[in-house]
Amino acid sequence: MKQELVSVLAGNAFAMGDAQGDMEAHPCAPIGLFSFDTRFLSHWVLTVDGERLQSLSRDDLTYFETRFVLVPGAASHYVDADVSVIRHRCLDEGFHEQLTVLNHSAEPADFTVRMEIGSDFADTAEIRHPGPRRPTATADPQRGELRIRHRRGRFTRETCVSSTAPADVDQRGMTFRIRVEPNGAWRTDLHVSMIIQGAGERDLRADIDSHREQVRRTMRDDLARWCDQAPELVADRKPLAAAYRQALTDLAALRYTPLAYAERVPVGGLPWAMTLYGRDALVTCLETLPFTPELTPATLRMLALAQGGQLDDYHDEEPGKILGELRYGEAAAFDDEPTALYYGAADTTPLFVVLLDEYERWTGDADLVRELRHPARMALDWMTEYGDPYGDGYLRYQPRNTTNGVANQTWRNSPEAIVDRHGVLPPYPRATCELQGYAYDARIRGARLAREFWDDPEYAERLEADAACLRERFNHDFWLPQRGYYALAVTPDGKPVDALTSAVGHLLWSGIVEPERADSLAAHLCGPDLFTGWGVRTYADGQRPYNPVGAHLGAVWPSDNAFVAAGLRRYGYDDEAARIAAGVFAMAETLGGSVPEVIAGYPRRLTKYPVQLPAAGRPQSWASGGLLMLLATMLGLRPCADNLLVNPVIPTGYGRIELLDVPGRWGRTDAYGRDRDGDRRMRGGRGEGTRRAA
Amino acid sequence: MSTSAAEHLARAAAGRHPELPETTCGTVRLDMLEGGRTEHWYLTIDRQEVRVERSADEADLVVRADREVFDRIAAGRLHLAAALLRNDLAGQGNLRLLMMLRRLFPGPPDARHPRDVAGFPYRPVPR
Repeated sequence: MKQELVSVLAGNAFAMGDAQGDMEAHPCAPIGLFSFDTRFLSHWVLTVDGERLQSLSRDDLTYFETRFVLVPGAASHYVDADVSVIRHRCLDEGFHEQLTVLNHSAEPADFTVRMEIGSDFADTAEIRHPGPRRPTATADPQRGELRIRHRRGRFTRETCVSSTAPADVDQRGMTFRIRVEPNGAWRTDLHVSMIIQGAGERDLRADIDSHREQVRRTMRDDLARWCDQAPELVADRKPLAAAYRQALTDLAALRYTPLAYAERVPVGGLPWAMTLYGRDALVTCLETLPFTPELTPATLRMLALAQGGQLDDYHDEEPGKILGELRYGEAAAFDDEPTALYYGAADTTPLFVVLLDEYERWTGDADLVRELRHPARMALDWMTEYGDPYGDGYLRYQPRNTTNGVANQTWRNSPEAIVDRHGVLPPYPRATCELQGYAYDARIRGARLAREFWDDPEYAERLEADAACLRERFNHDFWLPQRGYYALAVTPDGKPVDALTSAVGHLLWSGIVEPERADSLAAHLCGPDLFTGWGVRTYADGQRPYNPVGAHLGAVWPSDNAFVAAGLRRYGYDDEAARIAAGVFAMAETLGGSVPEVIAGYPRRLTKYPVQLPAAGRPQSWASGGLLMLLATMLGLRPCADNLLVNPVIPTGYGRIELLDVPGRWGRTDAYGRDRDGDRRMRGGRGEGTRRAA
Repeated sequence: MSTSAAEHLARAAAGRHPELPETTCGTVRLDMLEGGRTEHWYLTIDRQEVRVERSADEADLVVRADREVFDRIAAGRLHLAAALLRNDLAGQGNLRLLMMLRRLFPGPPDARHPRDVAGFPYRPVPR
């Protein structure tokens, strides 16, 4: 897997292949054409006269469309071909590839163009070891169609490939014996339908010509509309504007419509998380409220619909719990994986309430708060009834599915992520610190909703009493006075898991921290053990398990940093927040393109260039959303009654930033900021802001 | 001996269900197929009240499956979402109601409360 991988994506579908546009299944990455967690093409290889092609250029037109310009033959420093091939692919509900063969010579030329086609119908859960399926391939030369079908009981998945130009179809592909006139061109449109039979009456068969054009145009319009509706960023710093634009486009690309649902919600991201994850979706919504608030009601309603309703060990489900993961592949259908509806997440439920409250503060959409009273109340009750197994007020998790459940049911979900300074894993159930922060915040916010919208002041008082009690106990049990930070977790018998992590930043974001302790946390977060220069590490250097390439043991996540920076500003550490925002943006700008969800935790002064991790997803909703949240944090955007408060603290060297048409309960309003260097030159004060209602 | 779907519907599905959102309204028809015959069950969800009848009337959501599939769901031994993905069960109409229907059927009989799994004395703090 040394080659660059090229993808197009649309919703939960994506096609990933090499720089020539060929797709050949490989155990290290989900190569091929995927939709609804199923690989519909595992082999898609183009040859001309038996030769593979090499790439001259590539144009990634939009996230769903790419054009490759290719010539036959092995790579050499000098290419003098009489023939070239343009491969123009586009993905919407189906996959389309237009092949154009150009004859550059003065004589007519005959070519044999061949597309090798195969499908293994692997589930996204089994890319490393695809199961032994025996799909049947049926060639229909009359219709120029190849159908490949996999059946297991009534479960049927089918790939149907058709060509507009006449083709010799066989079970392994299509051959075109063509003659191209001098300086002429030959074309065919290959269309691949991905058919999920019977699942929710959803028919993914797209009509070939008219529909495709229509969908493609609709997708272009839709992308333009999405970008138009978001605030406009005008920045002296050009790479910042480019990073903003890219983040918005990523968020547009990563929306999909779940089965049984009418609106679009964010998927986790490419390539491993192209489905609805409760956490990723909630976090993305929290990050993007000042920019793309329309993601939130769709997400909250979908998660309410899928809210846990019963006790179920295999799916780690309890009544009131908010979804962890939702998949549609064969592994989910046959319970090989618990992902048909998996609830192994302890943070999604409090975050559901936090998002509902935060959304109302930004938009004033009281109707949604009333509409979602029942699920929000179930979520709040879950925290006490099921989330707190010892009844001591702490939210804890323990997978009941010990076969293939998630070991750590927080955003630090790798099996070794929750570990003390010496590398010791705590027993279950685990009470991690940021869960207590979220639970505290959810109760405070739930109390506001109960009082202002649900007409239930008694419930509000109970929630506030629980929150106060939790805060007091937490500040007693989790605080490590010798070290000056909160423990990562406590064990079942109350012993602190003493590691220093970025989770203390989430505690600031939640507001559970006693103000006199925030100084020490800010110093840790911006100290050399946690801050790399590109952002804050998940897990601090100087502890035994620290590893700069460990996803949750030292690597740096933009989404994590967005919450850390927001937390620092909440407690008044404005310069520290600006430093972190500047670090993450410098990383995103240096790498260019979509920001990866995680980079290695090496010090910036050591590597100079951000070190990428091969397993990191890109684009990822919460990483792209994280950049937006960091921007909002720099500008100090905050809703206050019917006004937008703007309190900018812009990193040095950024010059002026204008965010125009920020949507909210005020209608639309603008926010301005300037870094202090510029500001000293201009006015000698600290940034500038506006405060006005439209 | 576990309960059949028909028994479950007749005894446990009708009545008040506080676990349903007060905003949910709609009708669901369950078509249970067995030996060329179809048995129709008709559920009216009106906020948190559920009425159960035998009727073949039009409904917002029609769910069709072999009777045996419904029986397994009623026994908590088949996940409704998985059954749909497997195509063992077909839904037509407002599929959002299917998620609500899920709450009218029990979970697996051997499921445990997190408190019982935690393996530590329950120690509620007074509040």
